[in-house]
Amino acid sequence: MSTAHSARLPDAAAPDRGERAAGARLRRGGLRFGRRLQLVGAAFVLPALLFFLAFKFGPMLWAMELSLSAYDMVSAPRFVGLENYAKLAEDPVFRASLINTFVYIAGSTALITLAGLALALAINTAVPGARHCMTAMFLTNLMPIIAVTLVWRFLLHPFGLVNQLLQPFGVGRVDWLTDENLAMPAIIAVTAWRFAPYFMVVFLAGLLAIPKDYYEAAEIDGAGVVRRFVHVTLPLLMPTLFFVVVVSALLASRIFLMPYIMTGGGPGDATRVLSMLIYETGFSYLKMGEAAAISVVLFAIMLVFTVLQMQIFMRSERAHLR
Amino acid sequence: MTHTKMTTAAGASRREVVRGIGAAGLGLAAGAATARRARAQARGPVSLSFWTFENPQQRPWIHKRIRLFTERNPNVRVDFQYFPFGDLGQKLSVGFATGTAPDGFVSQDWFMPTWLSRNLLAPLDVRKLGYASGEAFAADFPPAFVEGATHNGQVYGYPLWFYGFCNYLNTRHFAEVGLDAERDWPKSWEELGEVARRLTVKEGDRFVRQGFKFAMHAAQWTMIQFNPIFHQCGGRWFDAQGRCTINSEAGVRAMTIRASIARQYGAEDPADTIATNPLPQMDWLRERCSMFFCHPIPPAAITSQNPRMEQERYYRPVQYPGVERGKGYSTTYGFNLVVNARAPREKQEVLHELYRFMMSDPADAWADAAPFPLARKSGWVDNPSVQRFPHVAEIIRARDEGVPLPRTTVYNELADQVHRGVQRILLNRADIKATLDGIAAAVDRATEAARRG
Repeated sequence: MSTAHSARLPDAAAPDRGERAAGARLRRGGLRFGRRLQLVGAAFVLPALLFFLAFKFGPMLWAMELSLSAYDMVSAPRFVGLENYAKLAEDPVFRASLINTFVYIAGSTALITLAGLALALAINTAVPGARHCMTAMFLTNLMPIIAVTLVWRFLLHPFGLVNQLLQPFGVGRVDWLTDENLAMPAIIAVTAWRFAPYFMVVFLAGLLAIPKDYYEAAEIDGAGVVRRFVHVTLPLLMPTLFFVVVVSALLASRIFLMPYIMTGGGPGDATRVLSMLIYETGFSYLKMGEAAAISVVLFAIMLVFTVLQMQIFMRSERAHLR
Repeated sequence: MTHTKMTTAAGASRREVVRGIGAAGLGLAAGAATARRARAQARGPVSLSFWTFENPQQRPWIHKRIRLFTERNPNVRVDFQYFPFGDLGQKLSVGFATGTAPDGFVSQDWFMPTWLSRNLLAPLDVRKLGYASGEAFAADFPPAFVEGATHNGQVYGYPLWFYGFCNYLNTRHFAEVGLDAERDWPKSWEELGEVARRLTVKEGDRFVRQGFKFAMHAAQWTMIQFNPIFHQCGGRWFDAQGRCTINSEAGVRAMTIRASIARQYGAEDPADTIATNPLPQMDWLRERCSMFFCHPIPPAAITSQNPRMEQERYYRPVQYPGVERGKGYSTTYGFNLVVNARAPREKQEVLHELYRFMMSDPADAWADAAPFPLARKSGWVDNPSVQRFPHVAEIIRARDEGVPLPRTTVYNELADQVHRGVQRILLNRADIKATLDGIAAAVDRATEAARRG
């Protein structure tokens, strides 16, 4: 039918015939090439998508549903509306854990960012031996977290190595992990020790991407080290800086093992973070509904950081394209 | 003196008659056993799952008995699994939630209300466990154990091991400071503080040796060690309405006693204790502390850490101190063999047979797991190997006179709250009354939530 129709077309339209023939060849089973391409792509993505649906989004949605139920893991879940959230609002342990989580996120993110940047700058500005140290420093990231945490527990013991090293400076016994005012800072410091070298590599990549010309121009203009850092390095490193802040904050919001092993959430509730509370509420007290409600709160916190991260990425991408 | 050979009318001697009765009895017993085995074998293959917790003495014995049972009943297969002590309860919860809970398991007695309130355990038929009646079963155990295993007049747990805590003394340390451990062991809490102070050795602010130390590493140990002090002070965990009463006068007094060894007598260092070894008795075994409240300690455990201490036996267990001098008692706690209510009927039957077989040789249990005392009274206490065990009377007395842990569906919440409270009081010098008020409020919230379901 289409052939008959094209036979009636004027000669000027003749070149279109070839295109239509090609289009017909590209159509198979009535689908355009583009559509077929999309379907093939979708077929490739489908297994991964199904996997995520089944094992990630499914449980996430189920957790949200559970947060509106009373569920002891044995009897069938019973819908209770927002009761679990109301209970959380009244629970001093939840409030303490929420505050601890924010303190931990803020403290560890700040320390990781500062330490990571300082290490990257040291390596980038050719401090003697710094590059050799880089590999050694990165090892902190490769060690199993349980081993690292246990070693730090002994180092921070009242009579451990840290206090022994401080003794010559007139510092008396410090109960790093058993004083409620010091336990959280101690865990934050250990977190920074572990993760700062990882982000150092990210910073280093950002620093190496800054063209040397800018520094040379600034130097010709008489800018010193500090001015070069403030007016050249920092602005051009801003996307990397944002990335490190957001990713380390996301990492910190999920922390569990360090406080669990080092202090068990104590002394009292001084180092109990939301992820620990979720575990205790769900698996120790068999209150899965409440545990799900806490996890939804934690999810909301992480969502804020994720949206922030995506915004920064998109802005940085747009700037790059311009 | 002449020996008269007694004969019966049929001409058989008395010895022959006795021998005959014995042979008949043996024959009947063997017949019954064969019949039981035949019953077990008459069924099709039965595959059971069984979980317990890890303990270097107890777990191998349980495993051995199960292996022997399966050898005698080749149609029965048992998938035996064990978990760290503190993890078993959570593993079981997840198992029940996911339908993968074992058919039978060893339950810590403080978890019995958790399972029973959710109808997760099957009732046990005590006759199938070898007892003539419920009364005979109850008479074979101290009342506290039976109470923990019984619900609405029905037995749900077969008490396996139960024990109390003793005060383990390093008698050499006592001698060093001029004390005789046999005579001067602390019988009241004030004496414990005074003796601990004398035994303490310090260098500046550092403890070379703690005179006494409470465990600080886990909520369960905090509860076991604090529970009897609270009871001795006249405290009860809950009132008639189910409200937590740890903030009562008795609670404040008990917590003041608990804190006194560190605060008043300066004989322990809680910050050191919490930050060191997760094995709570390690400091005592390594002679870094002179007295420690502990469950029965097997000689093998002492030998593994301090062979000299075991060889020369310069240690001994004594009873807990008392608020009333000489009337101290500890917590008694233990473990029950239970059956999953969701296990098929046939498996429940076989589990009864398995438990009966496991417990049929208590002397063997003692031989393998001494000095952990069995819960049952019969069949082992008079055994010479038990009687020969040093200070076994102290261990059995602690078991029999101890008070059980609170039996409540919010046990974990209570234990965690008490543990955190003790940390605040001992490590951060928090006010005792205010801390106990906070604990009571948190436990009441948990109780209320549990009531609402």
